[in-house]
Amino acid sequence: MTNTLIHLSSSPYSSLACKEGLDLALVLATFEQPVDLCFSGAALSLLYNHQQTTKEDGKHLYKLLDGLEFYDIDNIYIERDNELTKEVDIWPGTKALDQKDWYALFSQYQHVFRF
Amino acid sequence: MRPFLLVNLLLNCNKAQNPMHYALLVTGSPYQTKACHSALKFLKAALLNKENTLEGVFFYEDAVLIGNALTQPPRDEFDVRKAWVELTNEHKIPLYLCIAASVRRGIINETESQRYELPQHSLSEGFQLEGLGTFVELMNSTTKIIQFR
Repeated sequence: MTNTLIHLSSSPYSSLACKEGLDLALVLATFEQPVDLCFSGAALSLLYNHQQTTKEDGKHLYKLLDGLEFYDIDNIYIERDNELTKEVDIWPGTKALDQKDWYALFSQYQHVFRF
Repeated sequence: MRPFLLVNLLLNCNKAQNPMHYALLVTGSPYQTKACHSALKFLKAALLNKENTLEGVFFYEDAVLIGNALTQPPRDEFDVRKAWVELTNEHKIPLYLCIAASVRRGIINETESQRYELPQHSLSEGFQLEGLGTFVELMNSTTKIIQFR
């Protein structure tokens, strides 16, 4: 059994990367592999509350967030004081890390995959 | 890490004779990135050390487009799909394409072609469609997975 970090950094609305990264996280969890998530860059927009997407924007990925706990995916990290989340109402299930812990995060896993 | 640094790292590792059990995850499009090309170069370097074993290569996201048999690159250009097929024929390294990512992008084998009642299929020789569960198996049976994106 290995522990894995899925790092989402792509916009959920400009490519399938975010969706396919989340798909991998769900499959790992289904196979009972410990998996954590972290968000940075354009992927942070997935965490914004009150999204009003249309069919053309693709699958409503933000609706997946509330279901992550059912897959035992409990650790969803973001960097504290990030400009993209500072004054925005975001999904409450994240854990904010200060810069030092954020940098250290990527050394704590056997596998880190970025999407 | 940049691909050429990875290859240098690997060659240095070879000098130290530390055998590794690798698998590769390739996620970058063969048309928008050099991920498929860099992974191929890495694999060739890794195979220089006979003690290294390559358990398989898993293509995900747009990288699955590498398995499209219908592509016809200009004759004076490097055919990266053909290069992968030649490599797997020579070294018997399994090349897996994520089935969900492939089907949505039109990379269809005979079985899926029948399932979706399509008149043709497009999967290249040398590649096979597998679920993400196969990738989880690779993660648990190797010492190192390297992603090319």
